[in-house]
Amino acid sequence: MTPLLSLDAVDHVFADGSFGLRGCSLGLERGLRHALLGANGAGKTTLLQHLNGLLRPSAGTLRRDGQPFDYSRAGMAELRRRVGLVFQNPDRQLFSAQVEEDVSFGPLNLGLDAATVRARVASALEAVGLQGQGGRAVHHLSFGQKKRVCIAGVLAMEPEVLLLDEPMAGLDAAMQVELEALLDRLAARGVTVLLSTHDVDFAYRWADRIHLMAAGSCIASGPAYQVARRQDALRAAGQRTPSALALHTLLAERGVLAGDHHPRSVEAVLDALRALPTIHSGAPST
Amino acid sequence: MLIETAAYASRWREVAPSAKALFALAGVGAAWLAHSPAVLAALAAVLALAALFGARIALRSFLGLIAAPLGFLLLSCLAMLAGLDAHGNWGWHGAPLELVARTALRSLAVLAALLGLVLTTPLPDLIGLLRRLRTPELLLDLMVLCYRMLFVLRQAWDDGVSAQRARLGYGGWRHAWRSMGLLAGQLAVQVWQRSAALQMAADARGYAGTLRFLPAVFPQARRQNLRAALAGSLLLALGAGDRLW
Repeated sequence: MTPLLSLDAVDHVFADGSFGLRGCSLGLERGLRHALLGANGAGKTTLLQHLNGLLRPSAGTLRRDGQPFDYSRAGMAELRRRVGLVFQNPDRQLFSAQVEEDVSFGPLNLGLDAATVRARVASALEAVGLQGQGGRAVHHLSFGQKKRVCIAGVLAMEPEVLLLDEPMAGLDAAMQVELEALLDRLAARGVTVLLSTHDVDFAYRWADRIHLMAAGSCIASGPAYQVARRQDALRAAGQRTPSALALHTLLAERGVLAGDHHPRSVEAVLDALRALPTIHSGAPST
Repeated sequence: MLIETAAYASRWREVAPSAKALFALAGVGAAWLAHSPAVLAALAAVLALAALFGARIALRSFLGLIAAPLGFLLLSCLAMLAGLDAHGNWGWHGAPLELVARTALRSLAVLAALLGLVLTTPLPDLIGLLRRLRTPELLLDLMVLCYRMLFVLRQAWDDGVSAQRARLGYGGWRHAWRSMGLLAGQLAVQVWQRSAALQMAADARGYAGTLRFLPAVFPQARRQNLRAALAGSLLLALGAGDRLW
């Protein structure tokens, strides 16, 4: 099946001559949840910016539905309508002073009429749990709320693909749970999601596909369970084995749990353990 | 920041900006028309009371904001009364006291009218109003970005000062000047980086040359405009009546 978005041997060379991407190849299948894992400086942000057309490759090709990206003004407008990007730092994305105003920016750029834009803004704010907060000043919001406004600003453009650059960074545990629920809802609606993260446990729990990056190259790509078992690739990408996988592998080796199913979180491993029959040791016989 | 906080907390926050602007404009017009100090004083009092009791602006905020222009006004009045003459001698200018009082009270009334507007209307609403009044887009885009950047930079400045203070950056004048200089230099780089990042963020959401935002909706604008026009007409009638009779 043709991937929705793909990179084929893409290089990106910055103005100072350093490489952002080096022969990077990667495909995003439609409707799946993708996680991009890599150490700082591995090229995750550069790759996301390429997928939104903000950067152009120095070599190689990017494709949407098998067709090379069209870098003309109209082509970019079309690409950005379909592929939305949420930046890591909300203060670098939000430039309007009011929540509603900022969320309306993207849809208005699509040339939609005011009534449609208003409906989309309301629905995007509702999706991120900020309904009724449209009139608030952006600088009065908390970091987590600003992040949600950023996501709403992109959701209001109703993209097919949502790219998120380290969305969990700077969020407290409760906010992370809320954001994960939001991402689940979006994935359930058929939106293809690609997010970059440093959290291998989250990536293993949440993603259908994991892509590992190191030094500007995509060194492994595939179903989460398969990629998570490749310790060499994980190490090269500055990651460790997911805790759930390590724990389950050990328990399966000891014969405690069956090795044929793969719990994706520590909680799921614990649930599997709880489901085992309790062994009662009787009183020693005399 | 004081204006910003007061505007968001004001009871007239949800009133259509056009209505508030109409009332303020009528206040300015009435102050321009009125002649006698008594009527001008009454106008200043009505406009200030409308802001304090109608819009529930905190007295402390109102006084805090009016203090600086009042200082200028006082200096100007003193300069009208006394100063150097053509021969370089100090003395009374002999401006009639009534003229000084009229000028001072007229300025005060205009000031109260404008404060009533800015202390009840957050800047995004004012920009929205200016957009409807066909102010050039470029000017409005600059206002939008400057306004947002004010808060972003203030946050960056506060963070920088806190980080420097934590490492004894402000222990004495010498250190303080050095720290402030370093921070200002570093912020200049940040401004440049942030402007590049904003451009990128705008491009990512289909920016095509103009910043377009959805205007805020004020469902009761028509009724509020009518009320403001009525109240404004009363003020104008007071001013015009004073001028004519």
